[in-house]
Amino acid sequence: MKQQKSNTTHEASFRDPSGYMFYDGDALRRQVNPIYFKQYHALKEQGIFKTLIKNKLLIAHQETAVSDDGIVITPEPIPFITNPYEWSFEQYKHAALHTLQVHKFALSKGFILKDASAYNITFHKGKPIFIDTLSFDFYKEGEPWRAYKQFITHFFGPLVLAKHHGAKVFQMMQTHIDGIPMDLIASMLPSKTKLSPTLYTNIHLLAKAEGKHNKDYKAETKTVSLSLKAQNNIIDSLFDYIKKLSIEETTEWGDYYTKTNYEKAAFANKAAIIKEWVSEEQPKKLIDVGGNDGTFAREVLPTVPDVLVTDIDPEAVGQNYKLAIKNKEQNMLAFVCDVLQPAPGIGFNNTERDSLITRLQNYAPDVTMALALIHHITLSGNVPFVKSAQFFASFSHTLLIEFPKREDTWVASLLMRKREFIQHFDFYNEAEFEAGYGKLFTIEKKIAVAGTERVMYLMKRK
Amino acid sequence: MYFLYFDPGLGAMIIQGLVAFAAGILLFSKGVMYKIKGLFGLNKEEEDTYDSIDIDQTDDDEATEK
Repeated sequence: MKQQKSNTTHEASFRDPSGYMFYDGDALRRQVNPIYFKQYHALKEQGIFKTLIKNKLLIAHQETAVSDDGIVITPEPIPFITNPYEWSFEQYKHAALHTLQVHKFALSKGFILKDASAYNITFHKGKPIFIDTLSFDFYKEGEPWRAYKQFITHFFGPLVLAKHHGAKVFQMMQTHIDGIPMDLIASMLPSKTKLSPTLYTNIHLLAKAEGKHNKDYKAETKTVSLSLKAQNNIIDSLFDYIKKLSIEETTEWGDYYTKTNYEKAAFANKAAIIKEWVSEEQPKKLIDVGGNDGTFAREVLPTVPDVLVTDIDPEAVGQNYKLAIKNKEQNMLAFVCDVLQPAPGIGFNNTERDSLITRLQNYAPDVTMALALIHHITLSGNVPFVKSAQFFASFSHTLLIEFPKREDTWVASLLMRKREFIQHFDFYNEAEFEAGYGKLFTIEKKIAVAGTERVMYLMKRK
Repeated sequence: MYFLYFDPGLGAMIIQGLVAFAAGILLFSKGVMYKIKGLFGLNKEEEDTYDSIDIDQTDDDEATEK
């Protein structure tokens, strides 16, 4: 299942001439080109890397090879990379604040972040981490921040848009790999935002200035000077503003577990089955697809070293993320995913950022859980059983799946919404489900969840 | 020397002075408000993982050597 990746350059790192990522067998390493030696040595010798790594701002690395043609560093492996369009509001916000912290620290030591791409951050051990070790450069006296606009289009703009339109605007990062265009950000904001000094200057004025100078084909390299103090003011004020940003969204599920048909005993029965079956598999990696705020994944969290939980609802993902921080869980990674439209491969050649399926195939979870999900895929998405079976089979060999019967209140409600087409969904029953999944999986276990109209299955890919 | 593999935007470079000016005023007035509120004991301590932009460097080797 795993893709052959030995000695190939990583598709995401061709832009920066300072170096590139490559696969050495299964290990992902980073080549530092001679053009970046000066910066690299300065960062290393002045202890910048060390402090950043110690403070968990930058991913740790080992220098594994040194020659005149290049230095090879091997970063600590990150099991699964999530991209900005898969983050909840809280995650996005923390990623932005994290970037500013890194830049501010670099500035205090005579360096800058030369780019502020949202892809420089991912989530690892429950927190954001800066992963592009070669993103630093020397600060030049009086030089404005070259990555300023990038920070606005990758972080500040999307966050402010999310405040007004909800976390679903982060999806726009899928179609704009270089950040949401300035004019689009400005035009999507209500005009009252012009009254805020921070939003007026950092967004509306910037969009205007960019619009004016975009048509400048002379490619002027006008030198503008900005003091260090002034630059610090910009980033301090952005930090303060972002820190206070919040969104009011009512979640799709919200208090799902209180409003659904779960009774305490039924909930406990389901949890017991999950715990027993998962522990028998002894998985190292597990994914819960449609796992809401991680309630059921937490039942097995202490015994599984690495757990991913996805949900379509950014609010549920945000709650999961906050809970993981509160509980200091390092093995829980929450991200947003719509099973009916998983993140595609994007960027140049469609390979710069891998599709969700490719990433899941490389991650190769030992167990995949899909609890209370199949009725949504089948009835809301009109996806035939064999099709959804293909989806799960594409990245997992062990599937723990829950099938809510027609008598389940959720299913009944979804069926009711079909109105006069309800008879088209007569196939939604246990026998058809087993026949569809049976084409790709062997059903090893089956048990009814006592106190519910639901059945649990454990299946192995054929 | 900078390796410019993306366009920093000329407009974005030019207006940073203005942005910084506005930010300076904001930060200053915030500082004043903080002090005034402090006189009346109105400052709330917020708890967040990203409380401050400045990172804690106190446990650096560099700091302990001093």
